[in-house]
Amino acid sequence: MMTKAQVEGVLERVRPFLQADGGDIVVVGISGNTVDVRLLGTCAGCPSAEMTLQVGVAAALRDAIPEFESLRVV
Amino acid sequence: MTSALPPDSIVVGASSRMRAVFEFLRVIQDSESTVLITGESGTGKEVTATLIHQTGRRKQFPFVAVSCALFSETLIESELFGHERGAFTGAIKDRPGRFELADRGTIFLDDIDDVPLAMQVKLLRVLQNRTIERLGGTRTVPVNVRVIAGAKRDLRRLVQEGRFREDLYYRLNVLPVALPPLRERREDIPLLTDHFLRRYFRRNGEDEPPVSDAVRQLFMQYDWPGNVRELENACERIAQTCVCGTIRIGCIAASILFGATATGPAPPAPRQPALDAALPATARAAADQSALIALDDQLRVLESRLIRWALDVSHGNKSKAAALLQIKRSTLGDRIKRCGLDPGGGAAGSGPSAAAEDGRHPHDQT
Repeated sequence: MMTKAQVEGVLERVRPFLQADGGDIVVVGISGNTVDVRLLGTCAGCPSAEMTLQVGVAAALRDAIPEFESLRVV
Repeated sequence: MTSALPPDSIVVGASSRMRAVFEFLRVIQDSESTVLITGESGTGKEVTATLIHQTGRRKQFPFVAVSCALFSETLIESELFGHERGAFTGAIKDRPGRFELADRGTIFLDDIDDVPLAMQVKLLRVLQNRTIERLGGTRTVPVNVRVIAGAKRDLRRLVQEGRFREDLYYRLNVLPVALPPLRERREDIPLLTDHFLRRYFRRNGEDEPPVSDAVRQLFMQYDWPGNVRELENACERIAQTCVCGTIRIGCIAASILFGATATGPAPPAPRQPALDAALPATARAAADQSALIALDDQLRVLESRLIRWALDVSHGNKSKAAALLQIKRSTLGDRIKRCGLDPGGGAAGSGPSAAAEDGRHPHDQT
């Protein structure tokens, strides 16, 4: 079972960069092996940024957490 | 196969490694000897070969680039030396090879390290005799071609492993040019980033938007396994996708974003000690990254970041920037050069006036 701490551990890697640009990424919820995240601040609502994070965060979660199944940007 | 580089392809770099390359290229400018360009994929072998051709005596004659990686042995032979009608199934008419097409000009044989051993013998003969025979032909055709070879692997090692002919290696390695991977000349990253962003935004008919500090920091930190080509592609992508008027972290490809922040196989490493809070945010962002960091690289990143900050704040006035950093104007000039921050006119100089104004506190001027 995936824990919030594991997910946060992955997000911590990119968070300093996002925050330096006036943005952030937060975990809204974890249900089973699905993670819901939301983009905040500067890059929120930007289609490129959402695609980047959708692809990048999902790949990084998959590498770090074997049980991880899917990521939703909500 | 062959490729035509866009006319605005130039070699960019202010690092000592690249300066050494340029210096050498200038020395060999009038030479007719064979050049061997070695460098990882994406370090600019073909661009460099073009540069050598364009600055050499053969510049008004053809430059023909061939990758030797893509063909089977027969195909390489036919591609390089041409064939006569009926030489093999499908050879319906005579066709000159690349060597003939490059007559009086330069041929760039890229991926020479991928040429099979049997083919290497034939290549050696051509280089020695300066004649070719078309596949299926009987005529010996003299060729007047300057040869530049490109290799992504160390040919010497391939020779030791018995995968590359020693005689061919020596025949090629007359004038060796080694192109450093981008991670070994990180100080060129800002210069290259600006260069490519300008190119791709101009292509869209736009001015390039400002780049956030976090993005610059990330680009300095990333290892760029695909070298300059990867950086160029990242910039092209940005020019296509950035819609908000500032290039921020969200514009950066996921592979780079997470590649630069990868922690490697080890579980979370201890945090680096926080840098002085007075430093700009990105310097602290660097410290937040766990895992291994190279002190020299980090210091260089930090230095170029702080210089850029000072130049921004002082609107490109180098004397003011030097005062902000509490260093001499001349020292600042040296460091700008070392960090590759001076794209020639980007930050306007302030004339020859010199020295820092001592005793002024940096914050007085922000």
